Formats: sequence, C-alpha cells, structure tokens
Amino acid sequence: MTRYALRRLGQSAVTLVLVSIVVFLGVRAMPGDTARALAGEETNPKALEAIRHQYGLDQNIAVQYGRYVEQAVTGDLGTSARTGLPVVDAIFEALPVTLELALLSLLLAVVVGIGAGVVAAVRRGRPAEWFANTLALLGLSVPNFWLGIVLILGFAIAVPVFAASGFVPFGTDPLENLRRMVLPVVVLGSGLAAIVMRQTRAAMLESLSADYVRTARAKGLAPHQVVGGHALRNSLVTVVTVLGLQLGHLISGAVVTEQIFVLPGFGKLMIDAVFTRDYAMVQGVVLFTAAGYILVNLAVDLLYSVIDPRIRLGGAP
Amino acid sequence: MLPQASSRGPGQGECPRRIPALSRAAAVTAVLALGVTGCASLTTSATEVGGVRMTDERPARDGGTLTVALKSDPDKLDPSLGSTLVGRSVFASMCQKLYDTDARNRIRPQLAAGMPEVSDGGRKVVIEVRRGARFSDGTPLNAEAVETSLRRHRDLPESARSSELEPVKSIEATGGDKVELRLKEPYEPLLGALADRSGMVMSPRALKKYGEDFATHPSCVGPFRFKERVTGDRIVLEKDPNYYDASRVHLRKVVYRTIVDGNVRLANLRSGDAQISDQTAPLEVQSALTDDTLQVFNSPTLGYQGLTVNIGNSRGLGKKPGKVNSSLARDGRIREAFALSLDRALINKIVFQGMYDTACGPVAPSSELGTKMRCPGRDLGRARQLLREAGEKGRVPVELTISNTVEDMRLGQVVQAMAKDAGFQVKLRPTEFTTLLEHADKGDFEAVSVGWSGRLDPAGNIDAFAATLGSENRSGISDERIDSLIEDGRRTADPDERREIYRDVTAAINDEHALIYLYRQRNYVVTTKEIAGLRVYGDGLIRVENAGYARGGDAGGKTGADTEARSR
Repeated sequence: MTRYALRRLGQSAVTLVLVSIVVFLGVRAMPGDTARALAGEETNPKALEAIRHQYGLDQNIAVQYGRYVEQAVTGDLGTSARTGLPVVDAIFEALPVTLELALLSLLLAVVVGIGAGVVAAVRRGRPAEWFANTLALLGLSVPNFWLGIVLILGFAIAVPVFAASGFVPFGTDPLENLRRMVLPVVVLGSGLAAIVMRQTRAAMLESLSADYVRTARAKGLAPHQVVGGHALRNSLVTVVTVLGLQLGHLISGAVVTEQIFVLPGFGKLMIDAVFTRDYAMVQGVVLFTAAGYILVNLAVDLLYSVIDPRIRLGGAP
Repeated sequence: MLPQASSRGPGQGECPRRIPALSRAAAVTAVLALGVTGCASLTTSATEVGGVRMTDERPARDGGTLTVALKSDPDKLDPSLGSTLVGRSVFASMCQKLYDTDARNRIRPQLAAGMPEVSDGGRKVVIEVRRGARFSDGTPLNAEAVETSLRRHRDLPESARSSELEPVKSIEATGGDKVELRLKEPYEPLLGALADRSGMVMSPRALKKYGEDFATHPSCVGPFRFKERVTGDRIVLEKDPNYYDASRVHLRKVVYRTIVDGNVRLANLRSGDAQISDQTAPLEVQSALTDDTLQVFNSPTLGYQGLTVNIGNSRGLGKKPGKVNSSLARDGRIREAFALSLDRALINKIVFQGMYDTACGPVAPSSELGTKMRCPGRDLGRARQLLREAGEKGRVPVELTISNTVEDMRLGQVVQAMAKDAGFQVKLRPTEFTTLLEHADKGDFEAVSVGWSGRLDPAGNIDAFAATLGSENRSGISDERIDSLIEDGRRTADPDERREIYRDVTAAINDEHALIYLYRQRNYVVTTKEIAGLRVYGDGLIRVENAGYARGGDAGGKTGADTEARSR
C-alpha cells in the first residue's frame, strides 16, 4: 500500500511538471499580445516595450520558463499583470470558495443522485423510476446558465429567500454562507446528481440480479439489508469512480456557476485571467487545478481498496 | 428627464397570502423558465429611454454602503498604469484630478485652485494647487506632490500616460502652491489630459513607501479611500475623513463588484445585492425601464464606433504607410460606395434598438468643440454607379473583422446584408477582441469594426488615428492636408478657430472613406430608485461623491449595507 502510494505520488509529480510545461507553452500560444491586452487603449510603443520587459516577455521562452520554475518552487507564482496583486494570494482567496462550492455540490449529487438511483433501480418500471429518470434528464439537459438565471429570478427576486450573488465565509456567518451557496450548489450539483443517478441505477440493476443478492434474499435478509448492505455497496465502486472524476470537473467547471452568482472562486479567476492574458494567473490557477485532479484521483484509487476488498494494490496477490 | 416606467405587468403583483412563499417561488420560477428565453424585445412607450439624464438632485441621507456592479474587473489601481474605463470609475471616487469635467463636458478645476495661466505663446502653463487638501494617508497636497505625480505619469517606463504628457518638457514646483509646466511646443489637448488620469495626484509618501506596488495601496485625494481589494470580486472604498469636502459625502462605503453578465447585473439590482449597474447594454436598459424600482441615467459618450478600412497599413502601427492589396484599398470610389451602402439609422435601430446615436465624424456633438453634422444617407444608386466607375463588374469581396461579442456579430451581419445590396460580398471574420486588436495593429485586416472610448479634447479622438505616423493609425491613412490640420489643431488656442479646424479635419477624413464612423454609444447606468445624488457625465464615469440613499425614501428592504459588511 505504502509503495503503491509513493509510486503514485511520483507519477503525480511528473504529471505536474508536464502540466506546467504544457500550460506555460499553451498560454503563450494564445493569439493576442499580452502587453497590448494590459495596455488597454494606449498604444505608446515605449509603454508596450516597458510592459514586456517588466514581465520578462521580451526574453526567450526557455529563460521565461526557467524563471517561472525557479520562483514556483519557492512558492512564488508571481504577481498578476492585471492587478499587481500576488497570484498566490488570489489563489488562496479563491480556493476556499470553489472548494466549498464543489464539495457542497458533490454532497447534493451524492444524496440526490444515489438516492434517486437506488429508488429507480428498486422500483423499476414504476412511477418512481419514471420520475427519477425525468429528473436526471432535466439535470443533464438544462444549461447551468439558464437554470442559474431562472433560480435567481424565482428565489432571489420574486421570493427573496436566497441571495442572488456574493460569498460570505462560513467562519464569518455560517447561516449567511449557506443562504448564498444554496442556489449555486443546486445549479452546479444538478448535472452531477443526474450523472450519479444514472450510474447508480445501472450499477444497482446489475447488482440486484447478481447471484450473491439472490443468496442474501434466500437467507431471509430484510430488503433494506439486501439493497443497502450488499447491492449498493458493490455498486458504489462505479459511482465513486465517477464522483472522483467529476470532483475535478466541479473544481474547474465551476466557471459558469461562479460567473452567474458572482462567486470569487477559481473559475471566475481563471476566465478573467485568460481574457486579459494574465499569464502568471492562468499558470497558477491551472497548476492548482491540475494538482486537485491528481490528488482526487489518487484518493479514489486508494478508496477502491476500502470499498472492495477484492482489489489488491501494489501487486500483492 | 426620463419618462417614468409603467407599473408592473400582470403576474408581478401581489399573490394570495394562502400560497406559501416557496410554492410561490416555484411557480414564478416555472413561469420564468418557460418565458425567459422566449421573450422577444418589443419597444413600447414603457421602454422608451427618453432624453439625456445625467444627474439626480434628490437629497441623500448620511450612511449606508453602495454596491456598484461593474462590467469587468478594473486593472491596476495606479493612475499612471491604469487603462480601463471601469478602473476610471473607481478612481472617480478615490483619486481626484487637477481638473474635472461638468455635465456639458467643460473643464473645471478640481485639485487646481483655478484654470491654468498660459503664456509664452502656449509654451508655459502655470497651475495653482488647491490649498488645505490632504491625501488619504494624511499627507498634505501641495505643488511638490503635483510635480512628483506628473513626473511619474510622464517618465515611468510602462506609464500609459506618457504619450499624453510627452510634449511637456519640464515640470517644476515654483513655490506658492504653483506648478510650472514648460512645453516643447503649444499643446492645447494638455488641459483635457489633466482632466483625466494624467491629472491625478498621488500621495508622495505612498509613492515613496510602495513604489511599483502603489496599485495595492493607492492613496490620493478623494471622497473615499481604498480599503481592500479581492481579485475578480470586489474593491472596497470607505469614506475618507481627510477629504476637504467630507461633510458633503454621504455614503459610509462604496463597494465595486465585478459582474460580467448584464442580465446578472440587473438581477442583482432587483434582488438588492447591488444598487448601480455600470455600462448597461440596450436590451437590458429596456428591461430596466419596465421595472418601477429602477431608474436609468444616460449620457452621450465622447467616443465613436465604426469601421476602419486598411488603405496603407502594410507594415504595422508606427511605420510609414505602404501599399495594400485589396479592392477597398485600391480605389477611394469603392470605399465610398461601401460607405454609401450603409444605413446608420437602421443599423442603430436593428442592432441597438435605436438606443445609441448615429455618427459620421470623430468629434462628438456633445464635446465642447463638437459640431452637429448631418450624416449622409444610404444611396444604393450612387454606390452602384461608383462601383461601375471603378471598373468593378462582379461582387466586390470584402473581409470584415469583427469581435466575437453578440453585438458586434449582429452589427457585422447587418453590414453584410446592407453592403450586399450595393454589390459587395462581405465575409465576416469573428475574432476575440485582444487578437482583433493585434491583427489591426499589424495591418492584418481589410476592414475592421473597432471604436474609441473618446477623449474630452477632439485631438484625443483624431490625432493618433488619422495622422500619418499616429500611434493608432490602423487604416494607414496618409494625407498631408490632414496632417497639417492636426498640427494646427494642437497649436491653436482660440476655441472657435479650433472648432473650425476640427470640422475641416473631419471633412478631410471622410473624403478618404478609410474611417467610416457609424454610431456613438450612450452611457447607460441603471440604479435602484433608492439611490440619490448620482452623476453620470459624458465620460461615462459614475460619480458617487454626493450620492447616497434618498432621504425619506423607502430603502427597498435590503440596502446592501448589512450584507457587505460581512461578505468577502
């Protein structure tokens, strides 16, 4: 187990380095002059040259990358060319917002998705399944932007139960924090809940027709024990895999939700940085997102062994 | 004044009390879900924007927090480096200038004690500095502070103000609160520049302490002072007790939040999470006009929007114009035909719901030196005749580069359809805006849709764009007469003479048909009706110095004050 974890950590480090190179080159391959984007309407050539010099853009790409890595290993991801504020500070201000949004959305998806998936499988061919399937279809097909606007109009303006935008840290005011997070979480979590529901339903249907479930029933176990203790536990392997992959998507894919609800999170930070050609910010945000993906996938790999004892890690028989 | 918006429509009134709140919300949501994307935009008497409205004279009470929703995140809060309109709006609350403008775009002293004394044939300008003012860090405002700031604006290598102050040879504090500027040559646009960011004065103590990091700790003279900034989210300013006119400042705090989408900005106004929406687009303004809790301010802008035709930009900006191979570049008659195929009024009506103004010159009529012009109408017969005279038999191919925003795409499609009637085959090239600018600067375009936010002095709208070696001469226009008139405009002091000169320059530029002016935007700012004392002039800045919550008015429930205090 330890050897496997170390090996996976090593692979993760290599992946991070590769990601940093790809992002570094990718950002610079974007059309549009950074100095021009920063200078706005001003086109004084001297000012443009000075901007290029200030951010090292007048040096060759290898030197720029070397300087970036040198700073990054000391925890300095540079300063935003747009605002002049340190990138690390911006990331650590945005990270808790996106993490909370992602985790609450995941929680919603797990509760609603697994619950609806189990009900749809157990009540196959009945109205409960049709209802769950309809919800899943809506969750998958309704665009986040549209759903967000409609929820704001309904629940922040017509009946002002929740806030239309903004973020209050949980530590400052837990109730206000939740009041502001409900709508974004519903928007971001609804799509994932639909995916989880469909995965759970499919896996449960397979499990419910398996021999061990028939055996459990024959032994006289109560229906909830058969479903919860046997069928669902086995089905969760597939579901957890999906959740692990989707958590990464939630972190990086919160862009639209954060834009609608004006949450100062990662997605918003990223999109603003891309449009203003803020290289340092884009690189920093992507590195953090990549690290998030890698860590979550590592955690999922390790979680497999806990859920399914048949899986052996590190090549052990 | 604007007509009052109509009362709420059916379905928006009171609901029976028996229906629980959540059920009501669900019902409203369901109805909106069906209607939100299907509603067509219809102009009715309730959505007519009416005449110009720049001020609100209602008295405001003291206290409260005002949240302003900006269209984009401001850049560096450093007057020497800042280059965005949204940044200027923030500066308007915290960084005063030597001069400011009024509702008629006239220049008035702000941190200067009076209008400047000009002598030596326009080469010597003396500015007396206001007495008794202090920066937000307590440092007194004096002539030395003005000298330090002006030198920084001019000499800092990456300064975005250096070209504006380039004609200034020397800057000296001469004692007695006076600053003397010596110019290389007479330069009339200087006063206009000093009424913008080039005239902002920064605390010398803060400049010394923070140097290049001034943007993270800005300190100026203004009604509000910088408190905090969270990247991409908000900038918080608080009332500055050091401000020389603090007794007239009502608000306790001003919070600038970045809300990119116009619909979301408006939704935040309606929910009470913000009180002002900056740079509101015509469709959203029409929506706001149907809501009796909102009010709309509008002022004509000083800039213009139009098409730039590449007739000589073969080597990029700043290089001597050369030969460009395209039908439009080859023959002025083809360009004239292209211009005559366009109907400005119809473009305004179709693309902008008739809520902007047509334009056929670089100087806004609302500018102090502007003149009202009658734009040429669409003339397809003349356009076809010009094409025949130019020897064009088939359809004339034109590639039009446009930014990939919804409005620009719509504009491109309308231009495409109109020009087709005259015999042009317009191919649209949608491009992301920064990339579009890069292509335009390099001369990699045939025609491009690009505009200019505008400057107080006409020179700011003309010189860089139409002078042979102008820093923004993307069309590659090169005309001795235009160059000569531009020089005259910079040197002539008499306003009436200057007005005539700029009228002549405009005519000369229009004769080239390389810059086809189409329309002028209006500054639309939507606010909740609880906000009083706001001013929005031609420069589009939101002036909140004397704004506040209306006295005796219903605060409309949530004022934003409570929520902001806790939010981050």
